[in-house]
Amino acid sequence: MNHDPYSWGRPSDETYGQYSDAIAHAPSFPKMNTQQPIVTGTSVISMKYNNGVIIAADHLGSYGSLLRFTDIERLFPVGKNTVVGISGDISDMQHIEALLEELETENNYDNSHADDEESLQPSYVFEYLATVMYQRRSKMNPLWNALIVAGVEDSKPFLKYVNLLGVTYSSPTLATGFGAHLAVPLLRRVVDRESDVEKTDMQTATDTILQAMKVLYYRDARSSRKFSMAIIDNDQGLVFNKELEVENMKWNFAKDIKGYGTQKV
Amino acid sequence: MFRNNYDGDTVTFSPTGRLFQVEYALEAIKQGSVTVGLRSSKYACLVALKRNADELSSYQKKIIKCDDHVGLSLAGLAPDARVLSNFVRQHCNYSKLVYNRELSMEKIGYLLSDKAQKNTQSYGGRPYGVGLLLVGYDKSGPHLIEFQPSGNILELYGAAIGARSQGSRTYLERVMDDFLPVEDATELIKQGVEALRQSLKDETLSVKNLSIAIVGEDLPFTVYDGEAVQPYL
Amino acid sequence: MTSVGTGYDLSNSVFSPDGRNFQVEYAAKAVENGATSVGLLCEDGVVLAVEKLVASKLLVKASPQNKGSGANTKIQTVGRHIGCACSGLVPDGRHLVNRAREESQQFKQLYKRDIPPVALADRMGQYVQAHTLYNSVRPFGVAAIFGGVDPETAEPHLYMLEPSGVYWGYRGAATGKGRQSAKAELEKLISSRDDNSPITTLEAVKELARIIYIAHEDNKEKEFEVEISWCSREHTQGKHTLVQGTMLEEALEYAKSKTSNAQDDSDDSDADSDDAMQD
Repeated sequence: MNHDPYSWGRPSDETYGQYSDAIAHAPSFPKMNTQQPIVTGTSVISMKYNNGVIIAADHLGSYGSLLRFTDIERLFPVGKNTVVGISGDISDMQHIEALLEELETENNYDNSHADDEESLQPSYVFEYLATVMYQRRSKMNPLWNALIVAGVEDSKPFLKYVNLLGVTYSSPTLATGFGAHLAVPLLRRVVDRESDVEKTDMQTATDTILQAMKVLYYRDARSSRKFSMAIIDNDQGLVFNKELEVENMKWNFAKDIKGYGTQKV
Repeated sequence: MFRNNYDGDTVTFSPTGRLFQVEYALEAIKQGSVTVGLRSSKYACLVALKRNADELSSYQKKIIKCDDHVGLSLAGLAPDARVLSNFVRQHCNYSKLVYNRELSMEKIGYLLSDKAQKNTQSYGGRPYGVGLLLVGYDKSGPHLIEFQPSGNILELYGAAIGARSQGSRTYLERVMDDFLPVEDATELIKQGVEALRQSLKDETLSVKNLSIAIVGEDLPFTVYDGEAVQPYL
Repeated sequence: MTSVGTGYDLSNSVFSPDGRNFQVEYAAKAVENGATSVGLLCEDGVVLAVEKLVASKLLVKASPQNKGSGANTKIQTVGRHIGCACSGLVPDGRHLVNRAREESQQFKQLYKRDIPPVALADRMGQYVQAHTLYNSVRPFGVAAIFGGVDPETAEPHLYMLEPSGVYWGYRGAATGKGRQSAKAELEKLISSRDDNSPITTLEAVKELARIIYIAHEDNKEKEFEVEISWCSREHTQGKHTLVQGTMLEEALEYAKSKTSNAQDDSDDSDADSDDAMQD
């Protein structure tokens, strides 16, 4: 077999002579879709507690290793009791943001119960996003993101993940990207399994998330100090704090790290 | 001799602003056998009289299930009703697949309305020749919706369409305050059958020609035919 | 009516020898027989109101249990900031608003802002006018009142679109069966105010309820309900919202108290047809 993709799908030169793009009205180059993200947002982290969920993400949009945009919001409230956190390509994220706004607008159409019984629920938002993500990957044209949908549905915490491959899963603690490696073990110290959710109150969960955001800021070179945190509580509803910063850091060890700051060999 | 020139197609208004083809389509409903729908605060129920073409033929199906939470009964052209019920089924499935959500009765009503309206504004087709009674139970409770070929939809506590249905409607209006608070499914069905009786002429209800459906909270849309309707005769 | 029956009124898109398009005029007749709709431009937003004829005792009515208006709602929303009240063939009104929603969505995808009411009225005007050009379709049997607050400029706007595709901006608009008495009332209301005491949405909700009651007086034997919606800068943050609960009750109380002893002074002698498409 000829393993060169550019020769696929056309008559063999040995049999038919030199292939001509002009005859087939074919482009001279195969169609290409997104191959990599450009401006990116890093981890989204989240966990359940006994009366709701917490989700957090920082404000950075990185252009490769350049910290290009420092004030990008990556948590999006949908309806009254859902928040979608998005990591990955920022322009694709902005497209998803537009989709979510359309979803909310259309839910209000011809719906006399849009404010209560027939309001958008986290599971509706999640199923829709998962469908979009899977359809795009099946067209070989993915939205380059990993998403977490957090919320409260039927008085129970809801937390689910979907990414550019259309893969979905759920867990009482969830994180995307670097956070899946660094933050999840920290979150699992508090909530390891579904049965631990009942034992965890909002304060404990908040402290855990703040701690995880701090560790991520220490160790993830594509993260920013400023971040947002949303709490969706069964009783208080949505509490959205967009003005948070990682506090009480200790950087005195940094002087000993080779490569940090001005290089003195 | 007077001849109406304005009733040949659906794209011609009469000088008084009426659409005769659409009004004639509404008449097609009355060619069908009667069906009754009613709802209480807990359940919604359909009762229908089935017809057979001749003594040796089977009885024409009057009630169609669309999803676990919604179904309909028809009066008029049965093939048109099959087109419309398939349409409702498709949208119920789509809603479950894409949004993990049961389609609300309100949305179902509007979807049908919009579909029927298309047939009244362009040349070459005809309006649907069937009236529908849709019952369902969604997040906001039980609902009964009447659909007309004009694209008009109405949410009602009780309704009857088809041949001689006025009798049933009058009866339902009279007993509305009795069936609205009914908490028992059987009781509601009995009221429905009684309403249906008001529209009978030569027919007598039997296990062969009576069809019943009920839906409610914890009660998926269920059709009763044949021996299953015996208790309500 | 002259030229009726000469054959020039049997097909859409055909001119009569004296330059009229009869099918469009007949479509306007469907509107004139329809339930009354009114709209009022206010200092801080717009208010819409419609008359809902209750054809049967079995209809689910407006009540606290079904959110004040719940079932059988008539006024519709386009985007989040524009409301639409239609008179005439109700299913045609839905077709029109479905198109308006598509236009609003398309505008937002392109410009990342909500469509200004004037742009929506213009696009809908083109769509409705296109339905007068071809004999394969019929004109819309509705007149639509679009009202909204442009989120960009915070300015309120009110437009009325007719079956011919013509649309104008209005301070007060009325259409449907009771339009004549409604118009007279709107004129009285608007001329009673000057720049120093502009009418507010809060007042207009009550006044429009009253006007629907007055417009219904020629049709007294038929039972009816009033549906009201508003877009207010302060009270609804520019969002189009149905007026419900105590606010609606107060408006209806006001309307009843103002009309119970008012004498019938209007004269609207349209031939009434019990058209099934008229609600």
